[in-house]
Amino acid sequence: MSAASATVFIVDDEEAVADSIAMLLGSVGLSTRLFPDPRAFLAHYQAGDAGCLVLDVRMPRMSGLELQQELIRRHCTLPIIFITGHGDVPMAVEAMRAGAVDFLQKPFNDEDLIRRVHKALEIDAQERALLQRREELGRRWAGLTAREQEVAQRIADGEANKVVAADLGISERTVEVHRARILQKLEVRSLAQLVQVVLSLREARRGGLPMDGRDAGPGRSPPT
Amino acid sequence: MATPSTALSTHRNPADSRLNALLDAAVDAIVLISERGLISRFNPAAERIFGYAEAEVLGRNVALLMPEPYHSAHDSYLSRYRTTGEQRIIGLGREVLALRKDGTTFPIDLSVGEFRNGEERGFVGILRDISDRVRSVHETEDLRARLAHVARIGTLGEMVSGIAHEVNQPLTAIATYASACRRLLDSGQSRPADLAATLEKIAHQAERAGQVIRGLRSLVRRKDEQREPLDLNALVKEVARLTDFELRQSSFRLVLTLAPRLPTVMGDGIQIQQVLINLIRNGFDAMREHASGEVIEVSSQALEGHVELRVSDAGGGIDPKIVEHLFQPFVTTKATGIGLGLSICRSIVSAHNGTLTYHLNDAGGTTFVLCLPALDWEEP
Repeated sequence: MSAASATVFIVDDEEAVADSIAMLLGSVGLSTRLFPDPRAFLAHYQAGDAGCLVLDVRMPRMSGLELQQELIRRHCTLPIIFITGHGDVPMAVEAMRAGAVDFLQKPFNDEDLIRRVHKALEIDAQERALLQRREELGRRWAGLTAREQEVAQRIADGEANKVVAADLGISERTVEVHRARILQKLEVRSLAQLVQVVLSLREARRGGLPMDGRDAGPGRSPPT
Repeated sequence: MATPSTALSTHRNPADSRLNALLDAAVDAIVLISERGLISRFNPAAERIFGYAEAEVLGRNVALLMPEPYHSAHDSYLSRYRTTGEQRIIGLGREVLALRKDGTTFPIDLSVGEFRNGEERGFVGILRDISDRVRSVHETEDLRARLAHVARIGTLGEMVSGIAHEVNQPLTAIATYASACRRLLDSGQSRPADLAATLEKIAHQAERAGQVIRGLRSLVRRKDEQREPLDLNALVKEVARLTDFELRQSSFRLVLTLAPRLPTVMGDGIQIQQVLINLIRNGFDAMREHASGEVIEVSSQALEGHVELRVSDAGGGIDPKIVEHLFQPFVTTKATGIGLGLSICRSIVSAHNGTLTYHLNDAGGTTFVLCLPALDWEEP
């Protein structure tokens, strides 16, 4: 989670530019990896690798914007800092709209680049922590029985025990037993926390974040 | 009638009225000299053209009408002819410089004939002032140079964003290397060897930016056409540096296949580069519209007496609708073109006594062949 284990991936067909950026970032203790084009990067990058991407917008064959689209398609959240020789406003707008963290024009100020890389690494670390938490919750959710999942969804949606019992044709007492098991299995202590867990799992599912396990999310589609 | 001893023997002789009428009426200057080069007749047209009265020059050496180096050499021309009989100018005519009384020079067409009259021998020179013709040739050259310059500026205007990018890259690298060095120094952990290696890289990048700028500056410069010995391979490499970027952005590549040794060609380097840039960019435009491959090849080759440069694209060939008018001005298929590129190219090439032709190539694109006469051709 700390920047120490993260890597700054630099993708630029301009060898000298990539090399100089690596040296600059290296001088402040960041570890870097260089790729001459987007394909080489895609071939190397593993979904779990922490870090951020410093990406040239214009490259032959596959542009930086195309790489960004490919990463989005692969549900990869690696934060991207675009660099470009042309202050192409439409390109910058497109990149930012698609979720780029920042856009720098060559030649850039060294402080600017370092500051933005640090910020991108921070975003990545937060993102990864969140992802990890969701994965953990997903695993716990998968540990519930089908009936427990059903009950958990209804409780989280604010249905009273009585209503749940009537709808499912079980006793109110049984609902209470389920509820206790659910809290235990999901490792939460209160109703409020249960609601939070269910909502965050639904959000993860909606956001299409990569999640292990086919039963990772709440089985029922969210009401909204 | 003629006495061999006198050089003035052909001087206006009332009896020779037909000759006199001829000399008086001629528009061209006619000067008769003796075997030794002394002027014996100087017609009214010669008086007008040179600014001398006939009486001033009679009996004087005709070298008086010539600037150096002819002035000093003329006597030896005559004596060589007397001994060898070898004709260098007689019956041929040539363009030379003449000297007026006021010391100014002017171009003339000179034709020389020989006459014998008994024992007397002499020469007749007919001289036509061709200042006007030469001036108009110069004006044409000057016009062509201006037009070429304007077209060049236009082309460079289209290329400027690519060129700016090409300079921006090394600048970015330089700035970033420099600040990395400063940080390393500040940290106190820098090793001299690392810093030295980085400084080396900085110098290299600066040189790279400088080369682009130099290439650009020479193309923008407006100067009179000049002929100097050219290394066509070097010209091709410079042009490649300026055009390569645009191609790469479209995933095309410029491949140079240069003969290791080329004979020198006389010409105006900037204009030849202009032709190459035009041909490469035409190929590039064609490939953007329809690409059957991704390579534009520029090759050089020495042929007997010539150097040939070929620019082969992998575009869709030439629109049959304009094939006939390809080299005519203002014929274009491009939305933004004015159709001057190829017509200027051809006029530049003709002025170099070369040829510019084209044919369809195996890739389905077009190959333009630029052929220029070699200066120092030796049989290999």
